[in-house]
Amino acid sequence: MSATTLDTPRLPAERVATVNWSACALGLAALLAAPLVLGDYYLHAMVLAMIFLLPALGLNLILGYTGMLSLAQGVFFGVGAYASALMSIHFGTPFIVNFLVAGLFAGLIALPLGIPALRLRDTSFVMCTLGMVVIAQVISKNWVDLTRGDMGLSGVARPRLGFGDMAFTVVKAPEYFYLVLAVAALAVLGFVALIRSPAGRCMVAIRDNETLAESLGVPTWTYKLIVFMLSAVFAGLGGSLYAHFSTVVSPLVFQSYYSNTILIIVLGGGVGKIPGAVIGSFVFVAVSEALRITPELRMVMYGCVLLGLVFLFPQGLAPIFQRAAEWIARLGQGQGAGKGANDVR
Amino acid sequence: MSAEQVMQPMLRIEGLRKNYGAVAALQGVDIEVQRGEVMGLIGPNGSGKSTLFDCCTGLQKADAGRVLLKGVDITGWSMNRIAREGKFLRSFQKTVVFPTLDSEENLVLAGQMSRFPGVLSTFWVGPSAQRRIKALRERAQELIELSGLARVAHLPAGNMSGGQQKLLQFASMLMPEPELILLDEPLAGINPVLIEKVIQAIEHANRKLGVTFVVIEHNTDVLMNLSHRVVVLHQGAKLADDTPEAVVRNPEVVDAYLGG
Repeated sequence: MSATTLDTPRLPAERVATVNWSACALGLAALLAAPLVLGDYYLHAMVLAMIFLLPALGLNLILGYTGMLSLAQGVFFGVGAYASALMSIHFGTPFIVNFLVAGLFAGLIALPLGIPALRLRDTSFVMCTLGMVVIAQVISKNWVDLTRGDMGLSGVARPRLGFGDMAFTVVKAPEYFYLVLAVAALAVLGFVALIRSPAGRCMVAIRDNETLAESLGVPTWTYKLIVFMLSAVFAGLGGSLYAHFSTVVSPLVFQSYYSNTILIIVLGGGVGKIPGAVIGSFVFVAVSEALRITPELRMVMYGCVLLGLVFLFPQGLAPIFQRAAEWIARLGQGQGAGKGANDVR
Repeated sequence: MSAEQVMQPMLRIEGLRKNYGAVAALQGVDIEVQRGEVMGLIGPNGSGKSTLFDCCTGLQKADAGRVLLKGVDITGWSMNRIAREGKFLRSFQKTVVFPTLDSEENLVLAGQMSRFPGVLSTFWVGPSAQRRIKALRERAQELIELSGLARVAHLPAGNMSGGQQKLLQFASMLMPEPELILLDEPLAGINPVLIEKVIQAIEHANRKLGVTFVVIEHNTDVLMNLSHRVVVLHQGAKLADDTPEAVVRNPEVVDAYLGG
């Protein structure tokens, strides 16, 4: 490594959570206006992107900020979907109850899974979470009394919101879009609050150097368990939205495709960066949908796009968007484009 | 702290044993560290110095023996509990900092667990948490000034020089207001100017803040001047335990470590 001097231009250090609120407001305004200009097909795609955003936020928390690669996000996504579907079908409980219970249940399931798994490190932990995916697939297919096996659960009720005469069922694409947008916005705020809390600093410490963190009094295992559970809560909430959106839940939700998609969203968007999962979810769902024009080559093309992104943007897409936002801000201030970003989050 | 605890030695190591397979790294070591002293720990490479630190601070589990901190048996405690509840910290032979964070964040992080009552309270971002973090930031800035790191404080710690990282590591250990610090080769690989700074920092913490130190260091000239007492380890056993003047004249120590 070459020696660095005080005169060498470098990026300032990362602070635990810096948020570009103007970019957030712009993005939110654009999303609020989307149903006015986009058709149902595009809104459906964006709803999917925002549903996948939730487990992706959870993965960003555990991978990006705590440094543990978990492939089990798909499992908790599926657990949330099944929990919501079962409650809706068997008990007829309202959407909001199903939604909250799904998140809570996924978090609780993560507790007994995380206690042994988090004794492991690095690749052993990754393999353990992969094992969870396989087990979840087998259970969902073979516990027929509960899950109806490969037939899956159908007839999950559409979300019903409001009270009394004001109550309405969410059916149309724009309605669903706004519901999921509200949930996604709250989830992002929750994620930012977590990262900005003192606990967020402990997560970064564990990612950077677990032994050093431990030597300074950080109970690393406890933090990792809590983060594992919180990431499962995010995934479970996403699963619930998915169940009420598609109205059908089958063992397909436990396929590694879902875990892989969540991983691609986080890695491609920018791991350990606040806007990473947000950008990743929209970009990768958009790419996946755009490639439907060549159905036979779709997955091959998708793979090629991923390879290209890895080589061109190894840090993910978030820094590119961040620089673009700052460039626009500087243009707005009449200073013209200058050098690159000074904040990598 | 109870009156009984005040009367106890800061650290008492009783019959500590540790084997790595057939190799006996520690063979029943007994050491007492008195409150407020700077104790040097020397010995040839492989004599068990770092293993002793590891076993005392919970990084490794000893095969036998006890470690008592202010009279409390901390054998088997986790490393984080020893640091948090015991106010007993250590540095590592290889300098370690949190590389992606700047100096202030490194220091705030180091002091954080001593300011929050439990893990769950650190997930709270309300006014009480903000007040605690503000106090930590102010303390961090004081230590940055004292350590002479102000010019490089904005850099990721991983981009700082080895000496600057040593100073930051030392400042980090002062954040939780510790009572006992074990320093593993604090002067290794740094230039004479920074050596002087590190020595001053240790002396300041010892005299002004009352921190007790145990220091492993191969720079014996500096260590003899710094220490009130020196313990020599050789092949996992205690060879000598005396004043620096007596240790340098001890023929067994000269033969095993200091040389002619």
